[in-house]
Formats: sequence, structure tokens, C-alpha cells
Amino acid sequence: MATVLAIKNLVVNYGAVEALKGVDVELGEHDIVAVLGANGAGKTTLLKSISRIQSIKRGSIALKGLDLATVPAFRLAGLGIAHVPEGRHVFATLTTEENLNLGAYGVRSMPAGKELEKTKEWIFSLFPILKERRKQLAGTLSGGEQQMLAIGRGLISKPHVLLLDEPSLGLAPIIVQGIFRVIRQIHEEEGVSILLVEQNARKALGVARYGYILELGKIAIEGDASDLKNDERVRAAYLGGSKVNC
Amino acid sequence: MGITDNILKRIGLGKPSGDQPVTFWSKNRGWLLLAITGAVFAAYPFLPFISDYWIDVAFFVGVYALLGLSLNIVLGEVGLFDLGHTAFYAIGAYVTAILNTTLHIPIIVLLPLSALIAAGFAYLVTSPVIHLKGDYLCIVTIGIGEIVRLTMINNPFNLTGGPNGINGIGGPNLFGLAINSSTQFYFYTWIIIGVIVFGLIRLQHSRIGRAWNYIREDATAAEASGVDVRSYKLLAFVLGAAIAGMAGNIYASKQMSISPGSFTFIESSLLFCIVLLGGLGSIPGSILGAVVVVVFPEVFRQFASYRLLFFGLALMLMMIFRPGGMWPRKREGTGLDGLGIRGLPRNDEDLILLGKPDPAILKPATTAVVRGVRLPPVTVPMDEEMLLQTHGVTLKFGGLTAVNNFDLNVRTGKITSLIGPNGAGKTTLFNMITGIYKPTSGQIDFLGRDITGLKPHTIISYGIARTFQNIRLFPSLTCIENIMSGPHCHARSGTWAAVMHTVAEVREERDIVATAAYRLDEVGLWSYRNELAKNLPYGKQRYLEIARALATAPHLLILDEPSSGLNDKESEDLMVLLQSLVKEGFTLLLIEHDMQVVMGISDWVAVMDMGQKIAEGLPKDVYNNQRVIEAYLGKEDD
Amino acid sequence: MATFFEQLINGLTIGSFYALVALGYSMVFGVMKLINFAHGDLFALGSYLGYTLLIASSSWVTVHFGLWGGMAIAMLFAFSGIGLAGVLMERVAYRPVYPAGRLSLVVSALGMSIFLQNGIMAIWGARPQAYPAAVVPSTRFSLLGLPVTSLQVVILLISFTLMLAIWFIVEKTTFGAAIRATALDRSTATLMGIDVRVVIFFIFALGPALGGIAGVMNGMYYRAISFNMGWTYGLKAFTATILGGIGNIPGAMIGGLLLGLMESLFAGYVSGAWKDVFVFFILIVVLIWRPTGLLGEKTAEKV
Repeated sequence: MATVLAIKNLVVNYGAVEALKGVDVELGEHDIVAVLGANGAGKTTLLKSISRIQSIKRGSIALKGLDLATVPAFRLAGLGIAHVPEGRHVFATLTTEENLNLGAYGVRSMPAGKELEKTKEWIFSLFPILKERRKQLAGTLSGGEQQMLAIGRGLISKPHVLLLDEPSLGLAPIIVQGIFRVIRQIHEEEGVSILLVEQNARKALGVARYGYILELGKIAIEGDASDLKNDERVRAAYLGGSKVNC
Repeated sequence: MGITDNILKRIGLGKPSGDQPVTFWSKNRGWLLLAITGAVFAAYPFLPFISDYWIDVAFFVGVYALLGLSLNIVLGEVGLFDLGHTAFYAIGAYVTAILNTTLHIPIIVLLPLSALIAAGFAYLVTSPVIHLKGDYLCIVTIGIGEIVRLTMINNPFNLTGGPNGINGIGGPNLFGLAINSSTQFYFYTWIIIGVIVFGLIRLQHSRIGRAWNYIREDATAAEASGVDVRSYKLLAFVLGAAIAGMAGNIYASKQMSISPGSFTFIESSLLFCIVLLGGLGSIPGSILGAVVVVVFPEVFRQFASYRLLFFGLALMLMMIFRPGGMWPRKREGTGLDGLGIRGLPRNDEDLILLGKPDPAILKPATTAVVRGVRLPPVTVPMDEEMLLQTHGVTLKFGGLTAVNNFDLNVRTGKITSLIGPNGAGKTTLFNMITGIYKPTSGQIDFLGRDITGLKPHTIISYGIARTFQNIRLFPSLTCIENIMSGPHCHARSGTWAAVMHTVAEVREERDIVATAAYRLDEVGLWSYRNELAKNLPYGKQRYLEIARALATAPHLLILDEPSSGLNDKESEDLMVLLQSLVKEGFTLLLIEHDMQVVMGISDWVAVMDMGQKIAEGLPKDVYNNQRVIEAYLGKEDD
Repeated sequence: MATFFEQLINGLTIGSFYALVALGYSMVFGVMKLINFAHGDLFALGSYLGYTLLIASSSWVTVHFGLWGGMAIAMLFAFSGIGLAGVLMERVAYRPVYPAGRLSLVVSALGMSIFLQNGIMAIWGARPQAYPAAVVPSTRFSLLGLPVTSLQVVILLISFTLMLAIWFIVEKTTFGAAIRATALDRSTATLMGIDVRVVIFFIFALGPALGGIAGVMNGMYYRAISFNMGWTYGLKAFTATILGGIGNIPGAMIGGLLLGLMESLFAGYVSGAWKDVFVFFILIVVLIWRPTGLLGEKTAEKV
């Protein structure tokens, strides 16, 4: 599998604290990779570093061999990286549709017009509720709808690489299932490579091919998702002991 | 350990902690440094190279220091955007001028009187607008400042003398000693400042000062932890205005004439700069800021009209290179001593034991007196079973019904969960129970009494505490200070008690910190007690918020998505804590999406969809309810 | 009736100055969360730039291009000069302070304001200057039997055109959406591919530049200009912004026009000396009644 995104020896500092202490992560073509770990392990920092809204201390991040350090942050969207941030961050006082349109802002090859409308229809087919809400201010949407909008806004630029940060955070089980269905769908039908950060380890390893486990800013364990699911250490630390008993 | 020591410690001059040998110097360092400062102040006018001119400059530094200190209460401690503070200064000056020139009331009598009238004025004009947020309040204060100045210019009833102002104001007379020379004014002013600084330091380290800081950090969280936000904001304005009024009195009596030109918007903005240059909420900073603002233009006097040009540049440069101010208030690194509370045990750890609550406090329907922090009496005998009941509660926003005719029953000593799709109205219901929203119709009963539509800080004192979906802490305060907001609503000491350190106040403060220590330890964050809350990792912040809620000694603890953002393992740890809380006697009400948590620990589950109850029952019944599966749970497909 | 009409048109004219200044103010406020106290002083600087151009070499510009041509060139000159000044101001005084938070920005803005005011005084002197009569168009004509000057009509036309243009850019174009997105959340805007620096450049060029145009028109209208007139206009712009509702482009326009009308009518019928007291009083009453301004602040905050 050809490597799309290669992160080597990434070090990030917050003041005096080292948030990431030399992390290597690889994402292939047509791939889903999950990044798991406890709170404060550095998962979100990793994604923010990739999209360059977090400055890094050392290490390299390359998109198909192109060193991203040489590219200004706002150009990344145009290069095919879409980042759906933790906590959704929809633009609350813009309408759903304006939010979606902005998702394509950095893509020069997609002028407003037919192409954009077509992609928007595709987003609406993934999340039909957004079509109903298109004229509504994004801040008035429910948490689930906002998450769908955030993902839709990321997808509208037709990215090669989708960085998904905690898409299930604070959402009802039925919505979480829907969102994971869409993640699978865009991966299978559109071939988008996805780097997925999740608390819900069970779900994440369910869709991913490969997984990394971050602990205190370092990769503690990595391996095929199917192996990780059965790994004793992973089970004990991240999957919890009990299943729902009813 | 006295306040002086704490202050000194903050600036790095304090007694070293640890087991260093006790010398005369280290033992009395606080008093010695105080004495040195006093000596410098006393000697200043008599130094050979100090002319009357520079004594007057020092006098004006004093006036601006008073003004800076007074604005610092409003802007620095409470974070209220006040750009019209000169209004109160003007009121003080004009009250003094008018009453002295017409009724010949002695200046020294007018000193407290101008403070009182300025304070009364502040109360009257700010109470209708105190609820306004940030910039809206800012423009209103500017407006008040302009209205006062223009009124003085327009000379209503021939009282204010119009644009020329009032002349012939007398000087103060202290028991036969007339104050009129520069040196006398210098001492008179700085002694008053000394007294006020003493009071302000005491206030800063009391529940009042902390309440102000809670509001500055997050007003919603402050209200939800039991701080009467409105009253404390008003108190800040009233106190600030009183001190500014005094400054007005001193200024008028020294100048002997006043005119509206001294009370412009520019003056207000200079005061704003004083506070920011010194450091928000820093008492020595405000004085230092005054020194800069007064002395800077004096030093550059030879450049005549260019001096203000330089001054403008200097302001920008200061904010670029020292954005936190010259002498910012430091909160970390001072240990628990930094709280300025007397009579703490030698070992920090002993506090935890001291704070262990009396079991009586958690039994509803009793009047528990726990070490001075008194719980409100609950006189109505309550239903053994039901702690909280909502009866047909409805909330409409415009045309939208967010919560529709909802009945929720929470049984004493149990864990009740409220689940449902995002946007179903769960948090809205919580917000009604805790008083943030007022229901359109319906009634909420807690402990057998109707709490519908009460203010959040009242409801919390009755025993309902909450946490927020997006954690709301007081980010720039230490963890222990965060939790000390909990017992606040049960404490009673007022401004005077805090300044005088009355016996009851000292005991109450110790109980507050002890309660906080116990709760901090209970959630496993004791070692973080002196860290700023914003520096805690996310997961620990959740626990801190829970500890803050527990410290209010609630009967009912409401948690809004406590496991959000935690992984499965962390969620399990949380469940263990929640179950231990039930054992301790708390009743829990949760909103939660993690079915493992909901099904694992709930005694009763209610399901909400589009504002309505669609099911309730035992966890396993709800889990298999077809309607709940359709609306919320869905089918697992992995 | 004639007095009423006169006060009305006068109020609209002043109101349109306020609205133009408020518009730029509001744009900067939205993106930087900055109460830009120096904004009024840029307006004053614009007035002085126009003045200097018009009197240069014995009114060379007016002599060669006519009264209206001269006015147009002076406005363009002030527009570009103040646009440049705005961009410089952001670089020097605000960008370095931005990470320190809003209160520090206010102090920096106050410093900037003091600096500009005293800078103007140092260059043009403390005494008020006046646009010479020879450079100001002064044709009068009657509209429906009521007297107006052609200058008033032109000022109103230009102001309303500019306001409409800005409203269209910010509310209806994709770049406008990018501006609003940047105002809400810079990091996420960057993720969308928005170059935040371009947005800030645009805002700090266009916002003050509008004030520059207003400054020239104000000079033409009142003739007298002084180094400290910026304070009043900055304050009025702030008032107008808040009156209409923060972060609300139509709000700033309506706030500005309303302010001008209230002032002018109160001064005409009740008392000139108390007009500002009246204006602030109305502002406070409006805020008690509607805590987020007349049109309201667009928010979607959840507790």
C-alpha cells in the first residue's frame, strides 16, 4: 500500500511540557488508521500538527512525499487534507449551507457552481437531515447534526486524506452508529484515506485497518486493528472489562 | 502567617518554606519590609533633592493610585469592562466642592460623605444595567461617564458652575491641624491609601475577593456554584465608586478648584491603562501603574507637546512586551499559604481530615451545622422516596417547545439517568432544575418545596449542584480555589468581617478550605491543589468540576455527560467514583450517552425525545424498549 | 416643517458619517474582538489628508479637476492613505498584542489613539483648520420645495452606496462568509483553507478606509477640522455599533443613522447642550430593554 501521509519523529511542546515525544504514524492509500489513547495522550495534538494549526518542534510530516512544513497552513485544504476538529467547531452564526460552502473554500479547482452543487448533493445524500437544515444557523443544530455538518464540511473539498477527531464525542448511540456507517461508506465508495482519533476504541478498531495507541505522547502499541482488539494490554487499558450486561 | 508575608512570598521576598534555620530576619521579614517601605515613604518629602514640585507629583501619584485601586476592584477583580470610572471620581469631587462652598461642611466630614454619595450613585446607575455583558456594559459605563461630565458642563440649577467649575474649596482640617502644604497633603493621601490597601488585601483573600474572581473567570459557572453574581458585581461597583469618590474629595481639596475638564473620557481610559499596566487584580500593580502614568509625562515634560506622543507609544510597547502587566498577581507557587487564611494546620494533609464532613450533612431533612458552614434549614417534612420531582415542566423558546410537559422523579439515594437523542432537551431540563432557565409552565419540587424559577445560587444553597457538558472551571485560579467556591453559598461573612478578620470569619474561612481539601482529595486531585485549573489535563478537569459540585454539600448532584471524552477504561473509573458517592449519601442525576455507564450504574432511566418522555423504567427494560431503540439506541452493526 | 426637514437631512448626513465609521469599526471589532479606540483618529487623519491635498499648491487639484473632481480625488486619496494606515496599525500595535487578550488590546488601542492624536497635532498644529470655501461645492437647490445642498445629496448617495456594497460583500459573497468564519474561529477558518492574514489585511484596509472617506466628507460638510475630533467620532461609532448589535453589519448602519437623527432632532427641538446626554440616555434605555442591541447579536451559545 502506497503511503499517503507519513509522520516521522514528531515532537510538539506546549510551553515546557512535551505533548508529543517523537511519534511515527503512517497512513496508506485507501486506508483507515485509528489513533487511540487516554485523555491528554496527545491525539488531538497529533491531528492539529498535521494540519499545521499547532506548531511543531521537531520531526517531519509529508503528504505523498511533499514536506508539509514548506506549505502555509491554509493551503493544506487545497492539497487534499481535510480536518474535522474535535468538538465540531461549526461556524455557529453561519447557515448550514454557508458552512458547507466554506469547506470548499481552499479548493481552487472547484469553483462555486455546478461542481460544488453536485458535491453538496452527495453530502446531502450521506446526511439527508442537513438538506432540511440548509438555511438554518449551524449553532441551532443538535449535537449530532453539527457533527454531520462538520464531517460534511470536511468532505465537500473531496479530500484524499480525512483527519477525524473524536467524531462520536457526546453523541447518542444511534447517531454514532450512523456516523461510523458513513465513515465506512466514504472509505469504501470514495476511497478516502482516514486518520481517525477516537475515545470509543471498540468502534474505532471496528472500522480501522491499523491502530496506534498513544500514551503520554509516545506510541505505546501499534498493530493491525484485529490484533489490537485481542491484545491483553489494550483490552485492560482502553476497552474496559465489562460489556453491557443486559 | 499574616497577609504581609503572603504578599511578600508572592513577590519572592517571603519566608522560605521548608526547614531553613529561623533567623531574626527570616522570622520577621514581613514586618521588616513593611517598616522599610513605610520609612521610605516617610523620608521621601525630606530628601534633599525633592522639591515641592516632586512632592506634588507624589501626591498625584497617590490620587491616581486610589483611582487605580478602585477601578481594579471592578475591572481587575471582577473583570467588568468599566471605561467610565471617572464618573464616580467626578461625583466625589463635585459633592465635596458643592457642599463645602455652599453649606460650608468641613472637607474631612465630606471625605466619607463623598464616598457614600458616589457609592449610592453607582448603585443607582449600575443596578439596572449590571446584567449586561462585556462590551455592552463597557459602552454603558462610557455613557454614564459622559452623562456626568456633560451634566457638570451644563450647570443644572447653577450648582456645578458650568465649564469653569467651582472655585474656593477649602482644605481638610484634622482635629485642628489644617492640611495645606504639599508635604501635609502627601502624608494625608498616602496614609489613607495605606488604610485602603490594607482593607483591599484582606478582601482579596476572603470569600468576597474569591467570589469576584469566580465571576471574572466564568460568570455562569460562578452562579452555578452558588455565587450571587448580580450582588457581587454591584458590590464591586459600589466599593470601587466609594474609593473613587474619596479620591475626588482629596483632589478637590488640594486643588481648591475643579472643572469638568478633569473628568473626561481620556481620564477614564488612563485609569484603565493604570490597572492593565500594573497587572489585572494586582494591588501593588495598580499603585505602580499610577506611578508610570503620572510620572512618565512629568519626566518628558521638556519635550512639551511630544510627551503624549511618547506616552501613546509607551502604552503600546508595554502591552507588546509585558502583556500581563508590570506586577501581575501570582497564584501558583505560593502554596496554600497564598490563600491568606489563618490558623491552617502545619501539614497541608491535616486539612483533609479537618474537612471530612459530618455524616449529618448529607441526610436530607435535617438542619446540619457543620463547623460554621451552616446549611439552610429544611423545615418541610419530605417524601422519603422523592428528592426531586418535576411536574409537567414545559419550556418554549419563541415558537419552539424545547421541553414538553415533562415529569421527572428522582429518588433519594439512587442514580437516575436521563438519556435521549442530541437536541432532545435534556440539558434544557437540567438548566430549568438548576435555575438557569425559568420554565414556561409546570413546577419543580425539591425536598418538598417549590423551587420553580428560583435563582441558580439559591437553588444550589438548597442542595442541588451540577456539572456542565463542556467543563466550566475557573481557569486561572488554582484547583483548591476552584473548589472553595463550593462552600461559598453556605458561608455568611460579609465585607466588614473579611476586612476585620472577625473570629467567625476566620473560622468560616478555615472550614471552607478544609471542605475543599477533603473534596479535592476525594477525587484524587490533592497533589494538584496549587496548580491552575487550566493546566490540568482534560480528564482531571472533569474530576475537578465534580469535586467543586460536591463541595457545595449537595443532596442532589446533577452531572451532564460526565463520561464525555473519556475512554472506556476512564469511564469505568468514573463509575466507581459515582457509586462511592451514592454510598456516601448523595443522590445522582445524570445525562449520559455511554450506555455502559448508564446501564452499569443507573437505578432508574428516563428517556427523552423531542422534549417529551418516551419511556422510563429499570435499565434493562429501557434498553430493550422498542421505541427507545428506534429513537436513540439503534442497532449495533459491528 | 422646514426646520424639521432641515434637521432630518442634517441628521441623516451626520448619521451617515457615523454609520460609515461604525461600519469599519464593526468589521474590525468582529474579526479582532478589538474595541479600536484609534478608529476615530484614523477618521480624523483622513480628514486632514483630504484637507492637505485640497489646499496643496493653491488648490491645484480643485483648479484642474473642478469642485466635484477635487472632492473625488481627495476621497480616493484619504481612502488609500487611511487604508494603508489601518494595515500598518494592525501590524505595529495589534498583531503583536493579540495573543495577550482583549484587555491588553484595548490598552494598545488607547495608546495608538493617543499617539495618532498627538501625531496629528504635531504635524498640523493644535488649532483647528478649515477646508477653504473655494474647494467645497456649495450649490443649493430645492427638493419638493425644501432647500438642500448638492453636497448633502452627494454625501448621502456615496454613503449609502458604500454601505450597500459592504453589506453585500460581507453577507452575500463567499469571501464575506470567510470573513465571518474568521471572526468566529480562526483555527477552524484556517482548516477551511481561509488565509486569515488576507482576511485581516482586507478588514484593516477597508474598515479604516471607509472612515477616511467619511473624514473627507465630514470636512467638506462642516469645514472645520481639529486634531482631537476623532475621540468623539470613535465614541459615536462605538455607540452606534452597540446600539445596532455587535457583529451585525446592518446593525452598525442603522445604529449610526439613528444616532445622527436623534442628535440632530434633539438639538433642533430641545437643546443642543444636552444632546449627547440624551443620546447616551437612549442608548442605556435601549440596552436595558434589549441587552444585545436593536437588531440583536447573532449568537448560538449553549450553556
